[in-house]
Amino acid sequence: MKRLIPALMVLAGLAAPALAGPAQDAQIAAYLTAAKAADPGFAGFSAARGKAFFMADHTGGKPDTPSCTSCHTKNVTVAGQTRAGKAIDPMALSKTPDRFSDPAKVEKWFGRNCNSVLGRDCTPAEKGDVLSWLVSQ
Amino acid sequence: MNTPRTIPVWDAALRQFHWLLVAAMALAAVTGFLLNATWLAWHVAGGLTALALVLFRLIWGFTGSTHSRFASFIPRPADVVAHLKSLTHRHHTAHAGHNPLGALMVLALLAVVLALAVTGLGVLGGMLKQGPFKSLLSFAAGRSFREVHELAAWTLLAMVVAHVAGVFYESRRARDNLARAMLTGRKTLDAAALAARHNQITASAARPRAALALSAGLAVLVAIPAIMGLKAPPQGVPPATLDPAYVKACGDCHMAYPPSLLPAARWQEMMATLADHFGEDASLSAADAASISAYLAANSAEHWDTLAAHAFATNTSPEPLRLTTTRFWQRLHGGIPDAVFARTSVATKSNCAACHGDAASGLFAPQMINVPKE
Repeated sequence: MKRLIPALMVLAGLAAPALAGPAQDAQIAAYLTAAKAADPGFAGFSAARGKAFFMADHTGGKPDTPSCTSCHTKNVTVAGQTRAGKAIDPMALSKTPDRFSDPAKVEKWFGRNCNSVLGRDCTPAEKGDVLSWLVSQ
Repeated sequence: MNTPRTIPVWDAALRQFHWLLVAAMALAAVTGFLLNATWLAWHVAGGLTALALVLFRLIWGFTGSTHSRFASFIPRPADVVAHLKSLTHRHHTAHAGHNPLGALMVLALLAVVLALAVTGLGVLGGMLKQGPFKSLLSFAAGRSFREVHELAAWTLLAMVVAHVAGVFYESRRARDNLARAMLTGRKTLDAAALAARHNQITASAARPRAALALSAGLAVLVAIPAIMGLKAPPQGVPPATLDPAYVKACGDCHMAYPPSLLPAARWQEMMATLADHFGEDASLSAADAASISAYLAANSAEHWDTLAAHAFATNTSPEPLRLTTTRFWQRLHGGIPDAVFARTSVATKSNCAACHGDAASGLFAPQMINVPKE
C-alpha cells in the first residue's frame, strides 16, 4: 500500500494536463468564473467538447473560414497557415510553450476568429473547452 | 608592284574591344528587349561592361596603333561626299582602315553606346533607387531617362543592322572579307589602297603603357564619384524596417505591407473596415487602431519616390485595397502560372515576401526576386 500511493500519483500526473503553467491555468480559471456567472449550473470544462468544437464546421461566419481548422489544420501539433500565407505556430501547448500565456492576445484572437468562423463571439464555456483541450495537446 | 598584299590593320586590342562590345551589347539587348526584369542584374552587367569598353576605346583612339586612332579615320566632309559618289561608280577605292561612312558609323555607335550606358544608370537611379545616381535623381527624372534609353536602344539596333549591312556591302565591293579582318586583323589591299594608306595616313605605333596609365587614371576618376553615389542615401526611399508595433498588429496573418504601397485615403478606408478585412475579422483595439492609422498616414505612398509607391498611388482598380487586382500588379505578374502562387511557401498572390526578398522595404528590386521551388 505504501508503494502503491506514489505509483498512483505518478499515473495521475501523466493523465492530467500537466503542461499548463500558471498563466494558462489562470486563463482557464477566468473563463470558468465567467462561464459560471453566465450559467450557475455550469459543471466545468470538457476537453472532448473543446476538440469537437474546434474540429466542427460552423455556419454564420465568413464563407472562407467555416472552421478553426481552415487555418489551424486538423492536427494542432503542426503549424497552420493563414489565408494570406503566414505560418501559424502549432496550437498545442506542447509544441508552442508560450501559447495562452498573454490574456490580451488570447482574447484578441478569440474575438477575431470566433467572429470569422461563427459570426459571433464565443461563450466563455466554448473558450474554456477549447483551451482545456489545447493545453493538454 | 600591282599584286595585292595582306597587311596587319587592326591591332589586337581593337579587335578584342570590338568582339567584347558585341558580346556585352548582345547580353544587354537580349536581357533588355526580350527578357523580364528578373534579368536586370545581367542587363546592368552588360551595360557596365560596354561602358568600360567604350571608355577604353576612347583612350585607345589616341594611344592605339595607326588604324585605331581617331586621327587616322575621322573623315572630312569632303571625304564623305567623295566616298558617297564613289558608291554609285563601278570602280572603288578600298580603305586600309575605316572608309569614311564606316568611320562615321563607328563614332555614332560609340556615342550611342555611351548614351545608353549613362541613361541606363539614370533609369536605375531614378526609378529603382539603385546605382551611383540613386541620391540625385527623382522617379520622374528616371522615367524620362527611360524614354531616352529606349529610344537609344532602338536606334542602336537599327545602327547595328546598318553597320552589318555596310560591312557586307563593302566586303563584296572590295572583295575582302571585312568581318574576317576584324578577327585576324589583316586586310588584303591592292597597290592603290596601299599607296593611299602610305600617303594619307600617318603610321603610329601602339602605346600600350600610356593606354594602361590613362585607363587606370580614368577608372579612378569614374570610381570615386561612383562610390560616393553608391554610398549616398537614395532619394525618397522609406526606411528599411517597419514600425514594430505595426508589424505586431498587422503581420500575424499576412506580411506587414510597407505603408508606401497605398495612398493615405486607401489606408484610411482599410482601417475603417477591419471588421471585414478581406473576408476575416481583423479588428484592433481602439488605441492600436489610432496609432497604426497615424503611422500609415505619415508613411503612405504620397511620401515616397519608389516605383511601387508611384504605381499604387494612382490605383484605379475596382477593388483598390487589393493590390493584386491593380493593372500594374497584373502586368508585372501576368506571366506567372497559378501553380506558382499555389505553392505551400507562397500560398497566395498577396504574399509578396514569398518571392520578393526586399518586400518589407517597399523597393521591390528586380534582383531581389527569388521564386521558391515549392
